[in-house]
Amino acid sequence: MLAAVISKKSLTVSTDKYQEALLLVLQNAPIGSKNQAVKDRATSLLMRVLTSFKGDIDQCVKSLDGKNVDMLMKYIYRGFEMPTENSSAVLLTWHQKVFAVGGLGSIMRVMTDRKRV
Amino acid sequence: MGEYTPNTNYLNHQILTARIAHSQRLFNGFTAFLFTVDKSSNSMSEKHNFGIAPVTCHSFNRDRTGLALSLNDSNVKIYKKSGQKWQETDTLSEHGQRVTGIDWAPDSNRIVTCSADRNAFVWMLEGDKWKQVLVIPRINRAATCVKWSPKENKFAVGSGSRLIAICYYDVENNWWVSRHIKKPIRSTVTCLDWHPNNVLLAAGSTDFKCRVFSGYQKEVDEKPGPSSWGSKMPFGNLMAEFSNGGGGWVHSVSFSPSGDKVAWVGHDSSVSVADATMGNQLMVIKESFLPFMSITWVTENSMVAAGYDCNPMVFTYTGSKINMGAKLDQPQEKQSGNIRCSSINEMPKDWNPNCLPKNGDSEDGGEESEIDVIASAMNRFKNLDKKGTGSDTATELKTQHQNTITQVSIHTGTKGDASKVATSGVDGNVILWDLKSLESSIQGLRIS
Amino acid sequence: MAATLKPYLSAVRETLTAAICLQNFDSQLVERHNKPEVEVKSNKELLLTPVVISRNERERVLIEGSINSLRISIAIKQADEIEKILCHKFTRFMMMRAENFTILRRKQIEGYDISFLITNFHTEQMYKHKLVDFIIHFMEEIDKEINFLKLAVNSRARISAEEFLKNF
Repeated sequence: MLAAVISKKSLTVSTDKYQEALLLVLQNAPIGSKNQAVKDRATSLLMRVLTSFKGDIDQCVKSLDGKNVDMLMKYIYRGFEMPTENSSAVLLTWHQKVFAVGGLGSIMRVMTDRKRV
Repeated sequence: MGEYTPNTNYLNHQILTARIAHSQRLFNGFTAFLFTVDKSSNSMSEKHNFGIAPVTCHSFNRDRTGLALSLNDSNVKIYKKSGQKWQETDTLSEHGQRVTGIDWAPDSNRIVTCSADRNAFVWMLEGDKWKQVLVIPRINRAATCVKWSPKENKFAVGSGSRLIAICYYDVENNWWVSRHIKKPIRSTVTCLDWHPNNVLLAAGSTDFKCRVFSGYQKEVDEKPGPSSWGSKMPFGNLMAEFSNGGGGWVHSVSFSPSGDKVAWVGHDSSVSVADATMGNQLMVIKESFLPFMSITWVTENSMVAAGYDCNPMVFTYTGSKINMGAKLDQPQEKQSGNIRCSSINEMPKDWNPNCLPKNGDSEDGGEESEIDVIASAMNRFKNLDKKGTGSDTATELKTQHQNTITQVSIHTGTKGDASKVATSGVDGNVILWDLKSLESSIQGLRIS
Repeated sequence: MAATLKPYLSAVRETLTAAICLQNFDSQLVERHNKPEVEVKSNKELLLTPVVISRNERERVLIEGSINSLRISIAIKQADEIEKILCHKFTRFMMMRAENFTILRRKQIEGYDISFLITNFHTEQMYKHKLVDFIIHFMEEIDKEINFLKLAVNSRARISAEEFLKNF
């Protein structure tokens, strides 16, 4: 199922539909899965979306609902764990924007949620 | 023909009172100039300080003239209200370790306390001394919370040994007996609340779940009628178990006044309500606030929660969702260091009493903002002199509580119709909030 | 690169403010004991998910929370050999005097240079927001300190080399 999402996603990323791509990954996040490889693939996919995101980040984040905001925050922290060339700078910007919408509560939920990304 | 001497007494009296009033206002203005207006007590909230140690837990007696609290140690201090202040009358020091829970029974006037030393004591007033009776709840870890049941014939103790001990008095043996509720609790029980029918008990735990149990004791209870949570209520029966999908430890749980709903707050910054009349429907609100530590219903549909934000907040529950209301502590510009009112030379006969801030006035007029600017500039230089930094690195928080609020309790009124709530916190303060006057002064605050 | 400093510090500040919500909690495992759960890790349900905030590959902060305690580990930027040595010496100096620091941990966590342990007892005695302010201030200052030390070492080395070579 994730493979289908991934292929769909790669398509949308290449065709500049970043917002949709983001929403797709967030909604299909393999959070219940026990397979670490699947989770890693989803994480790297999301990192690609975030780093290559063009467009208004503020707008995009404002359009997400509570659950997706929490999920995005989880992925941001997961992305911090694997810093690459420029990823951290991008992630820090995303963190700032998502915090403006989600607040301290969203950070609390990243830490308290038992289901890891 | 008598001379008409006009009754000057009355006139004199009037002139005198006018003069007194005028000089009173002058005096008030003068003192306001010299000293700061003390905002620690106005019609909306009353702050009482008990030292610098955290207030671990507190409990009022029935007519709110007595207050029992513990200041993060093994003693329980009893205070009596004298005027506006609280006077310490007694110290109950039987516990060996930190006192974790206190409950003062309104009708029988007994106090039950529990502590990290795994014991509980029931204290009774004999004359003017408090005499204790040891209760052994047979727990092998610390007790975390204790609550009298509504009829005060038994009490429940939550503990770190993953169980709840229900203790009742066995008249024959002159001893408090305890029975345990174990399954299916998997971690420390952090909070308890009794249902108005004296049988059901809600418990929150660090295993992220809120549960409703039956605490029916055939020795002291009559058979309870069916409730919205079920009709079969043998002792220890799990009536309902809820998890809000996240992973936050449950900090506090509260039954609604009718007992049909149970609300709890979790560490994942959420407030959840389960409604038994709607098939145990679960509603959760997850917002951007820091987690709450304590929650209580103040009407059938409104709750007050307080916690790490140091600011009590109102929530209302309609059948379909939970709405976030306003905060009770609207931060006012901290008065200390700010000089309110112009110099004394401007106290003329036509002195305008509106110059002084009215109590509870949070929206100050335009004329005062100028004075504010001058006053905060004064603050800056004060800081420069004292601390060597120009910026007002605020050590004090803008809220009245300076540190986490750990407990909210009803002060005046009942759970169904509360007019005052009390909050106690890690800053050593107990603050009483007058809900009615707050409702009228804060926009968007509706407690129905 | 300097542009990431502010968002980095504010991200750390926000995460710390969330993680520093601690309460007193007696041990579930040993009666009459009260231990920092993040250190003993006795029960999984009492621990929070550890989070990392990274500014680049070398500078990271690890925040591990629990119900009554919080551990913050900082990996400091060390660009070259001399900075590595200076950083090591500086943190060793502080960690030997960890008791006076109150919230400093005597040993750092693997992979990081310095660690702090904040328990509920600290948050009861001190303001939470000031503790967070201190950690952020510390993070800002330590980079400056190491730069300053490096400059001092280099200038001393140059002066002593000059003096020595004057003989020849």
